Amino acid sequence: MTGKLRHFFKTLTGRLLKSAIMWSVAALAVGGLTLSFVFRAYVLSDVDQRLSMLLDSMVGVSEISPEGVLRFSRPLSDQRFMTPESGQYWQISEKGQEPFRSRSLWDFELKPDMNRNIFSLRYDEVAGPDGQTLRVAERDIILPDSDRIFHFQVATDMAVVKAAIARFNWLLVSALALILFTVTMSLVLQVSYGLRPLRHLGRSLAQIRAGKERRIEGDWPQDLQPLAQEINALMEQNEQLVDRARTHVGNLAHALKTPLSVIQNEVEKADDERAVRIKTQSRHIREHIDHHLKRARIAGGGSGPGLLIKDRLEKLIKAVSVSTREKAIQYNLNCPDTCCFDGEKEDFDEVLGNLIDNAGKWAAHRVNISAKTLSDDVRRPFIEIRVEDDGPGVPDDEIDTLFERGRRLDERIPGTGLGLAIVRDIVEMYGGDVRLEASPLGGLAAILKLPTK
Amino acid sequence: MRVLVVEDDESLSEQICQSLLDADYVVDVAHDGEEGHFLGDTEPYDAVILDLGLPVMDGRSILKKWRADGRTMPVMVLTARDSWTDKVEGLDAGADDYLTKPFIVEELLARLRALIRRSAGQSSSQLECGPVLLDTRSGRVTVGGRAVKLTAQEFKLLSYLMHHSGKVVSRTELTEHIYDQDFDRDSNTIEVFVNRIRKKLNVSVIHTVRGLGYQLEWTEDTA
Repeated sequence: MTGKLRHFFKTLTGRLLKSAIMWSVAALAVGGLTLSFVFRAYVLSDVDQRLSMLLDSMVGVSEISPEGVLRFSRPLSDQRFMTPESGQYWQISEKGQEPFRSRSLWDFELKPDMNRNIFSLRYDEVAGPDGQTLRVAERDIILPDSDRIFHFQVATDMAVVKAAIARFNWLLVSALALILFTVTMSLVLQVSYGLRPLRHLGRSLAQIRAGKERRIEGDWPQDLQPLAQEINALMEQNEQLVDRARTHVGNLAHALKTPLSVIQNEVEKADDERAVRIKTQSRHIREHIDHHLKRARIAGGGSGPGLLIKDRLEKLIKAVSVSTREKAIQYNLNCPDTCCFDGEKEDFDEVLGNLIDNAGKWAAHRVNISAKTLSDDVRRPFIEIRVEDDGPGVPDDEIDTLFERGRRLDERIPGTGLGLAIVRDIVEMYGGDVRLEASPLGGLAAILKLPTK
Repeated sequence: MRVLVVEDDESLSEQICQSLLDADYVVDVAHDGEEGHFLGDTEPYDAVILDLGLPVMDGRSILKKWRADGRTMPVMVLTARDSWTDKVEGLDAGADDYLTKPFIVEELLARLRALIRRSAGQSSSQLECGPVLLDTRSGRVTVGGRAVKLTAQEFKLLSYLMHHSGKVVSRTELTEHIYDQDFDRDSNTIEVFVNRIRKKLNVSVIHTVRGLGYQLEWTEDTA
């Protein structure tokens, strides 16, 4: 799970989300802390102001009785001073005397510091009755017409204030969490919407790799356009490189063939040991050239408008019949005009040329070639081409070994076999299929399945 | 039989020419496309051996031009490119046969013989006219089973007449087909050759058609 998450944060979406969320959380946290602090300061100053007013009114009603005892000329208006542990308290202390307390304090006594006289107003937090925390406003006062110093205190329970602050903080946190959630969701949407062209680009590339497209086409956002152009240019360059390499291989191989002809002809008539060795080696050279040329030529991949095969088959039959002219083989072609192959002409020629040539070599009188479009596979349409001859055929139990033998020989000694290895290589490259079986004509039937448009 | 060889590789063209000469063909050689095209366009050849990869003008263009200009002599294409697409394109351009390099000259000769024979409308490698039998493969001539020894020039002449058996062949045509282009042509020598062949065959198959040339024909009553 953590591995997956780490992996996600390495994706582009993950990175965008991570950075955006980190910033949002930081900004919201700073905002929340500031709001909470401001609210708390405001609430406290409100409490302090009220306490200060109460203290003033306490001082205002205080007098010293003729007996020399401090008293209030009239009771303070707030009823909470009368109710025990109500949360509103006052106390007037004189050094060495029993303090004068509000009823609400009951048997609790505030313990002011009586050793220092501070005549200015100040605030403090002290422990109160019943575990309460009290906010206290206090000052020392010298009442008129006396020189006695009294310490006035008025206090209120902080619980209410703290509850208000806690409630506010809770609200604040929920609101901020909601904001964070909304922002995150909108970020996810934004990122997935914003990155959609990139995913589209990825799909385009996949299409190209699958050989369904040649270039990245379409309207791209302005900031992706250069990327698409660069990819296209890169592919063009790549194609050119491959083309050039292929041309060079071809040119080299072809250039070797003429001198090879000369060498082979020079030693053809001689049969001493050296000549035989040269013959063998030059045959190997030829086989290697053929092997690599044939493989270099395989283009693979479908593209373009598709190749109409009827015309190609007619031309191939003409080419094949040149070498079987002496036998007067009859080639019958049965192919719908619309049948087409999704691939390169050269590959088609190589596959069918080899198969028809084989059939022509073995046939006694005729070779039948028929093609049709298969409709059973809906995912990818195929055509089926049958090449059959009326030759001696191959026993059933050896048919399977034809490809194997061809293939094995082909890899060890290139260029030998029935050319079936190259046929199979090409067909497999196109995701097609080729198999051999006994033909009703008596000979061998090659059945090809190739992709169509 | 007169053959044009268009091949730019000196060694290979030398080998081909030597083998053709050994087989009693009359051979002209061109080493580039332009020369090859000119010769094929102006001289009458019984067959052309044409390499496709040529300097100045490539083989396929030459072939297309010849065919477009109505030149119908059989053309054997030599090519290093052995893909089926190349073969199809070569034949499309008008070739009658193709041979891919590297090849053994013997194979070239065999294919060339078949090509010339077919183009003359003969389906067998044994050419026949009455008791006269000419084996294009071995180069042997027999009359009623008796072997006849002919010189190279005599064989060339008889072979041409046998290929075009029944047709009237002019002296000029014979000269053109049994001598290469550099030969100082004198139609009188043809007459000398024909008389010698008649004597050696000892059967009357070569008839003189007054003012036109010669005709090879076998009729029972002339025997």
